[in-house]
Amino acid sequence: MRRTLAQSLALYATVIFTLVMILFPVYWLLVTALSTTDELYRLPPTFWPDDPQWDVFARVWAAKPILLWLWNSMLAAVGSVALSMLVSVSAGYALSRYSMRGGATMGLFVLTAKMLPATLLVIPLFSIFSSFGLIGSLWTLVLAHSTMIIPFATWMLKGYFDTIPKELEQAAMVDGCSPIGAMVRVVLPIATPGLAATALYAFVLSWADYAYARTFLVNSPDNWTANLGITTMQGEYVTYWNDIAAASVFIALPIIAIYLFLERYLVGGLTAGAEK
Amino acid sequence: MANISIRNVSKSYGALNVLRPFSLEIENGEFVVLVGPSGCGKSTMLKILAGLEPATEGQIFIGDREVTDLAPGDRDIAMVFQNYALYPHLTVRQNIGFGLKMRGTDKTEIDRRVDDAARILEVTPYLDRKPKDLSGGQRQRVALGRAIVRQPQAFLMDEPLSNLDAKLRVHMRAEIGALHKRIGVTTVYVTHDQVEAMTMADRVVIMQGGIIQQIAAPDELFNNPANLFVAGFIGSPGMNFLNSELRDGKLTAFGQQISLKRATSAQGPVVVGLRPEHLVLGDAPVTFGVRPTLVESLGSEKYVYFDAEGARIADGEEGKSKGLIARVSHTGSLPRNQEIRLGFDPAQLYLFDAKTGERL
Repeated sequence: MRRTLAQSLALYATVIFTLVMILFPVYWLLVTALSTTDELYRLPPTFWPDDPQWDVFARVWAAKPILLWLWNSMLAAVGSVALSMLVSVSAGYALSRYSMRGGATMGLFVLTAKMLPATLLVIPLFSIFSSFGLIGSLWTLVLAHSTMIIPFATWMLKGYFDTIPKELEQAAMVDGCSPIGAMVRVVLPIATPGLAATALYAFVLSWADYAYARTFLVNSPDNWTANLGITTMQGEYVTYWNDIAAASVFIALPIIAIYLFLERYLVGGLTAGAEK
Repeated sequence: MANISIRNVSKSYGALNVLRPFSLEIENGEFVVLVGPSGCGKSTMLKILAGLEPATEGQIFIGDREVTDLAPGDRDIAMVFQNYALYPHLTVRQNIGFGLKMRGTDKTEIDRRVDDAARILEVTPYLDRKPKDLSGGQRQRVALGRAIVRQPQAFLMDEPLSNLDAKLRVHMRAEIGALHKRIGVTTVYVTHDQVEAMTMADRVVIMQGGIIQQIAAPDELFNNPANLFVAGFIGSPGMNFLNSELRDGKLTAFGQQISLKRATSAQGPVVVGLRPEHLVLGDAPVTFGVRPTLVESLGSEKYVYFDAEGARIADGEEGKSKGLIARVSHTGSLPRNQEIRLGFDPAQLYLFDAKTGERL
């Protein structure tokens, strides 16, 4: 169907508007990093610095343990992804495939955990972690982030498993697989897009956390995550926003890298050809 | 290859009985078709046989071995699914060889057997493709290949042709028949299509409501149906039924008294069955005049629909009936609503008990 001129204009206007909404904060972060402190407070603001301070990145990298913070964030995120995927894959698969007494209710009940804000859970979690002597350890983040990720990830994966015909596992079992073998050899390879999307969601959620890191790790600078580390760059009297923006660019890069890595798996249609 | 013995197997979900005690002895190399309308329990029986569903009660033997509680993979059976269930992430070669790989077969042996199976089923050119790059018929062949490559004790097929178009279905029906003759493996085949059942089976098991109605060879089912359900299910178009009254070896139908040629002691209300192909145009031992309500031409023959007093709609056909049908050889035109003479031989009538539906 051919689009009329008005339809084309409306389409492009919508696309451009959406792109501006999404990309403007990224652009502004970069402008802030490259501006001098004086320029940052100038009114009206400049949309590109007169003299871009490209050395800000090297300066911040040298002055702050950015690499350590990134490493800690990475450990917490990878740990959270691993733990929550292990639980969510099993739970989502069970909810999708097995009918059990109260199964549907249990599935919905899992989601109620998602309704509670992090600020509500942070105190009981703190109490639990301190009784196990975990405060100050990155394990607190792995466990706490998993409590946020697992409910929603379970539902994402259940939805994906529902789209895979049960006959595939039955065929695999007739071919000699155990139920777990059928899941590992047949269902999970087909569910790669669903697994990749869920893992990405889990990674971003863990990477973006501040409240838990601030509560559990504040007295252990060696275990500070990137988000927590950056907030310490805020001074009591003076804040160098350009330095903070430069550090923020470093923090955003791994997410972009992870997305580029997982993107190839985020394709649909892997079950095509299984059925008629 | 092995015989299969199903002994008093039943299945219920709580209070719902989907399969009443089911017993069947299948000979080594036999091709048995389970046929019946949707929900009759035929697919459930096949899944129990495959080990994909547990039986509530009863025992299953394949060969001399009891397999009732064995996992599907330990029963040495192969199954072809209605929707093929090919592994979409594997190539055709990997799909066919999957079962052998799971059993730890040597790699070169897998390749040799996959190549053999591919040659038999003519899928050799597609061995390196993924299922999504195949047509429906090719996928069906790959699904068959996955079954034959393992050289199992028995094949179980769950409506394997129902997703194909009409022409391909006829073709694949013949291919499966030829394949069975060639490799001679005991086969249990489930379908709701009576034509598939009649053309492919050594023996047909007709089921309804989780109960076996009759087990017999195709011709025997057609000629000697055990009850009203079987009589109505087998044959296309289905058998005509009329409510009638039997008194002293005579019954009333088509407005006349008809003397039965065989002795029967039955009295009272009966259902009379008459196959559409046993009705002829013109003279016969019993003739009657009708005005066709509809005439369908198939070229060399015509389906003549007409109404008659006492006409009874077959079970499960409510709302679909266009009255009684005569299937007559006639190449000329038969105008609607103009009286024609139809006739039949009373020896070809079937009688059923009006209450129980059992054959008299």
